[in-house]
Amino acid sequence: MSQSATAPLALPSKVSGEKPSIGHMEEFSANFARFLMRCNSECGELAEFNMGGQQTVLMSGPEAQEAFLKTLDQKLSRAAAYQATVPVFGKGVIFDAPPDKMKAQLKIQVDALRYQKMKNYSTVISQEVEDWVADWGDEGELDFLDEFLRLTLHTATHCLLGKDFRDQMTEEFRELYHDLEKGLQAIAFVDPYMQQPIFEARDKARARLQELIGGIIAERRANSGVVYGDALETFIAGTYADGSHLTDNEITGLVIATMFAGHHTSSGTATWTLTELARQKEYSADVLQELRALYNEDSEITFESLREIPRLERFIEEVLRLHPPLILLMRRVIEDIDYKGTLIEAGKTVAISTYGSHRNTDYFPDPERFNPNRPEPDTLFAYIPFGGGPHKCAGNAFAMMQLKAIFAALLPRYEFELVDPDETYQDDFSAIVLKPSGPCRLRYKKR
Amino acid sequence: MKIKIDLALCQGHSVCLGEAPEVFNVIDQDDGYPHVKVLLDSPPEALRAKVMKAAKYCPNSVITVLED
Repeated sequence: MSQSATAPLALPSKVSGEKPSIGHMEEFSANFARFLMRCNSECGELAEFNMGGQQTVLMSGPEAQEAFLKTLDQKLSRAAAYQATVPVFGKGVIFDAPPDKMKAQLKIQVDALRYQKMKNYSTVISQEVEDWVADWGDEGELDFLDEFLRLTLHTATHCLLGKDFRDQMTEEFRELYHDLEKGLQAIAFVDPYMQQPIFEARDKARARLQELIGGIIAERRANSGVVYGDALETFIAGTYADGSHLTDNEITGLVIATMFAGHHTSSGTATWTLTELARQKEYSADVLQELRALYNEDSEITFESLREIPRLERFIEEVLRLHPPLILLMRRVIEDIDYKGTLIEAGKTVAISTYGSHRNTDYFPDPERFNPNRPEPDTLFAYIPFGGGPHKCAGNAFAMMQLKAIFAALLPRYEFELVDPDETYQDDFSAIVLKPSGPCRLRYKKR
Repeated sequence: MKIKIDLALCQGHSVCLGEAPEVFNVIDQDDGYPHVKVLLDSPPEALRAKVMKAAKYCPNSVITVLED
């Protein structure tokens, strides 16, 4: 994207159906994934709509998506678009920090995802999966929406805050976390500081969580020789350019931000993966065959063995194509943008839709059909479940590793069947993170 | 073989350093993410397997291996 030139620029086409004052909010709220697809089919590459007063330009197609994803924060700001996260993550954390501090915090977050740490996490996740299935018995029926939410809360807290915290996780922590979650629903993107009971509960929960995590930090600072292998250890050790450490508030914020990035996204994808494994018998037989060749009765699931499971990977990638957990990625325009002769003015929001991109028939023919063997697009910007470019989801390798660890352990032991009619397992667009509509009941039976 | 790097995509995950420390290092920057530094632009054939793993397992597709 270049600076605006002197030649007169066109403006993006406007999406039909705008209503006074609320704009397209109603249609957006009813099913935002479908609404965004309508915007694209009606207006093409750039489609402008009105989100309750905020003019928003949807950028579609790999070329526009590449421009969106590669443009840096100075021109297209993540911080300005994601202010709803500020009261949840905390003052001065990530999208509320000055640019240099934000970069340092994100760098420290990635430090916690480095190679050596990932090896620890894969061990932790495999243990958690074993504990989870320990009392399953030979057959049964479960709501896997709930099950995966719980499993991934356990893996996330275990990897982030350590074994002791995970083992002693209290009901209070679950409730605080839940109050924070409720504080980040769609309405928070309109104004996160409205007088609302959910926002009051959010602020109380944030403060109490900092007391809890602050307690662990103090304990760890007093025992500085101990190696924990979790992310908190990295957050505590991390420093800014001037050598100063993160405050308890900032460390708590990074813990929360990392939970939010990884928990629902992983649990929703795991639920969809299991549902598709039960549905797509032919492809899941291929995956099972692959897993049986890789692992026998006694072989352990290790970080190394998890890296190379191509059929399972392609299966999960196809799940992420059809059901990308984050549908809408946003930025605020800071400086006017000339995109191929069209002006996108400062102050507007720009957005891309992973869900829509993954149904672009130029790259994914017969897009609703589940087919893990489809050819890869010849561009990196058509298949974008983790975004792309310099700000690509830093947890992408963690997410894939976790999903593979779960299904490498699960699939050889149990077979799964849908309990309810096939067509009742649908995407639920009511939350910010995509998941199957609940309950998501499956029957399992020992192989 | 030759190694091509897209630094704009690098977040310093250090997978390459773990796989092929003869060829890659990861260096802290003044600002933002650490970045990969290629130590051998044209590594010897003996390191091919390690280099290919580094490229394949890089979480952000930073590394491309070109054939001479």
